[in-house]
Amino acid sequence: MDDAAALQSIQATTRYTSEEMRAWVARRRWALAGIIYTIMIAAAIVFVGPLLFSALSSLKTNPLEYPPGLNIPQLYPSNWIAAARLGRLGGGNPLLGGFKPGARIPFRITYFVPEDVSAELPEVIVPRRRPGAGLGAVMKIDYAADYAHVSPVMEAERAPSAISIDGERVRGEYITYSFTVSYPGEGPPIDRVPVDITSSPGVIYVSSTLTASRIERLGRVASYDNLAPGFFGYVFRNYVRVFKEARSVSTGKSLFFSWTLNSGLYAIARIITNLLFATMAGYALARFNFRGKTFIFMLVLFSQMVPGQVTFISNYLVIRDGIFGLTRLFGVRSLLNSLWGVIIGGAGSSAMIEASKVFIMKQFFESIPREVEEAAMIDGTTQLQRYWRVVFPMARPALGAVTILTFQGAWNDFFWPLVVLTSPEDIKTLPIGLLSFRQTYGAAGDWGLILSGAILSAIPVIIIFFVFQKYFLEGVSFGGSKK
Amino acid sequence: MKKLVKMLTAVLLVTLIALPLFAGGKQEKQTAPASVETASKKEVQIRIMGYGGQDPAVVVRLLDEVIGEGLEKEGIKLSYEPLEGDYNAALFNALSAGTAADIFYIPVETAPGIIATGKVLPLNGLVDTSPFIDSLVEAYTFNGKIYGIAKDFNTLALHYNKDLFDKAGVAYPDENDNWDTLREKIGKLAGIGDNIYGISLPADYARFGAFAFAAGWKPFDEKGNTNLLDPKFKTAVEYYTGMVREGIAVQPSDLGQGWTGGAFATEQVGIAVEGAWILGFLRNEAPNIQYGTTFMPVGPSGERGNFLYTVAYGINTDSPNREAAVKVLEALTSEEAQQFVLEQGLAIPSRKALVDNPFLKKGTPEAEANRVVFEGSRMGFVYGYQFGKVGTDWFRPINSALATIMTGEKDIDTALKQAQSEIEALIERAK
Repeated sequence: MDDAAALQSIQATTRYTSEEMRAWVARRRWALAGIIYTIMIAAAIVFVGPLLFSALSSLKTNPLEYPPGLNIPQLYPSNWIAAARLGRLGGGNPLLGGFKPGARIPFRITYFVPEDVSAELPEVIVPRRRPGAGLGAVMKIDYAADYAHVSPVMEAERAPSAISIDGERVRGEYITYSFTVSYPGEGPPIDRVPVDITSSPGVIYVSSTLTASRIERLGRVASYDNLAPGFFGYVFRNYVRVFKEARSVSTGKSLFFSWTLNSGLYAIARIITNLLFATMAGYALARFNFRGKTFIFMLVLFSQMVPGQVTFISNYLVIRDGIFGLTRLFGVRSLLNSLWGVIIGGAGSSAMIEASKVFIMKQFFESIPREVEEAAMIDGTTQLQRYWRVVFPMARPALGAVTILTFQGAWNDFFWPLVVLTSPEDIKTLPIGLLSFRQTYGAAGDWGLILSGAILSAIPVIIIFFVFQKYFLEGVSFGGSKK
Repeated sequence: MKKLVKMLTAVLLVTLIALPLFAGGKQEKQTAPASVETASKKEVQIRIMGYGGQDPAVVVRLLDEVIGEGLEKEGIKLSYEPLEGDYNAALFNALSAGTAADIFYIPVETAPGIIATGKVLPLNGLVDTSPFIDSLVEAYTFNGKIYGIAKDFNTLALHYNKDLFDKAGVAYPDENDNWDTLREKIGKLAGIGDNIYGISLPADYARFGAFAFAAGWKPFDEKGNTNLLDPKFKTAVEYYTGMVREGIAVQPSDLGQGWTGGAFATEQVGIAVEGAWILGFLRNEAPNIQYGTTFMPVGPSGERGNFLYTVAYGINTDSPNREAAVKVLEALTSEEAQQFVLEQGLAIPSRKALVDNPFLKKGTPEAEANRVVFEGSRMGFVYGYQFGKVGTDWFRPINSALATIMTGEKDIDTALKQAQSEIEALIERAK
């Protein structure tokens, strides 16, 4: 029954006018839409909210800020420009900053000085400060304090004004001071220039060329992690730290970069083997008739039900001994702590061929009409050609689904790599690396670095999901129903 | 067909070529010392299992800069295997599977359980333990046998915010303070503002225990039982929770912080009871905070109380290379190694002689804090952070009792009675 018919039938039995009825139906329609949209938005917030929140927190100097605020200096365009300019002046690099010989960094800071407070010139120092925790604390570094020179602090401007503090109007003046941090003479390039500006008690920090990283000692000290951070170094400070600070002690290479590379190689290897083997197995199960076919298919399905934890010990032993000593042919005693061990030795959902992928491919091949292959057969093709030249290219949607699902599985695979890859640090994959981050930095309350690492590691999956959404859904429908 | 065969051959070939390439790094490492080996003795491989995180990097630097050369002369090659995640669970697995390394970390809190497996070699007669701090050796001595040499350690100390004390016009806490004078200072400090607290105290045995020890309470009697109804224990509970109930102390969680150090960095609390691990955190999160460090206050027993938090190196009884393992253990805990770790600001050494190290007498707040924590190990009643065979479940009843008393949910007697019955059940089960 459509709306008009419904209206008429209701009108016939009640005393409402058609106008009122129409308005009521319209209201109901809008209310329904409203309810559905509210539910969908609420669900979206519940699922995406934590991700967005941690993305925002990862930008903060103190991600544990409580109560959490949204007033993040890293999001002000004025700071972006200042950070890039200071980075260019300090290290000749507007993106990543730094501190190189010959650098001159002019800086201004403004305080509000209430009438009853006498302000002295603030004291500016470049402290000898190293990272307090994590791998940065273990590394040998050069200190900016050993090379930097701070010019005498000068008063630049003075303007009378009044501000309100706790609802009370306080008279006083804005005073701006200026100074320059320079790098005279020769020396090594240095990553960061921490600066502490200490003023007299009672004055209030208002602004500076670059917003201070933190205000300490009840307002007396404006502290900067890096006076010449560059755009990325300021806005994405924790992200830059992920790459710069977390390095292998023995080789000096960025750990996060190695981990990403390992995860990438692992994912690609898994995709290639799964595409090749799962299509072959799926094709055989879909097209050939042989004794025990159903049994084999059942076996494949059954293997999906065995959790990886059941088989991992035997797999571990096989990998440890180099596949019964076979790898000794290549001069390798054991496949532990090698990517090959992770790729070859996996079982269940970290294997070179996964049961669920075989299932997807079998279902898809069964949906391709036999007539296609029969036509090819008349043209004189062999069995292998029919598989490789005819059916394989036709299976593109299913191949897409297998690729996506395998990539996601491999990228997030945790258990098996955790067992196989223990040392050195740079052999690990991303999820295992993030665990080691948690141990290194979480213990010291340095969550910014962990958050940024986690978000960086999620990006490839998010991108792939958006680009290949269609295949994700198809993967589900291939697995579930037979066309 | 031909194409496919070609492709498969290509894939196979690539695999064959790439396999040794991938393993290339490993292979080189194995052959490089082999050339040295011909010149000296047979090469011995010693594996160490320890924490993940920072430790692998520290070991690499120790090897490169301090002990590597000496070990190489002996023909010993070290490999460090970090156990990420839950170290104790992973170690117990490795011990029962027979895959544990020659040397492994023994955390003090789970030492009784690890030693009970019988897989830890007694070191009596193998290693000279006299240069190490007595209480540390004691924490690893069971039935007269010494099972581990402490790698480094920590104790608790009072870290105070000088700015807040100056603002309140109260004298800084010092080593002469006892419970009453400290409480007075805390009370005065809390009086300077609504959001300012004298001290931050968590509902956690890891901090509270030190106060209970100062009252003269012992965690275990000769029979291995725990008595929480001991009047000495109750005195400590009254003192500790009383300050929170009164509002002069605050739980870190009430300031949105996970631990006392985080609360201290907000500059809203005057005192934090923590070990030297707070230093690295402050260097990152509150680099300009003006702090001082002093000893724990003297309790009603007339003595201070303190915990020893430590990790020791132990040797696997199943190690095929015991002699080499002992040599490695000695190198890792040698004076040079410990001095290096101390001077890098990474940990506090377990050797008595290092108390005179100039690094501890530099007079900077960090050096001072390290010195206080170091000397805290031999002042008053100092016990290892250890819970018999019960393991870390043991202190759960105490923590929940502290929490319910602090929030006012239960009075002290009811809460302690309940905790006592729970802890008895735990001990009974472990026996």
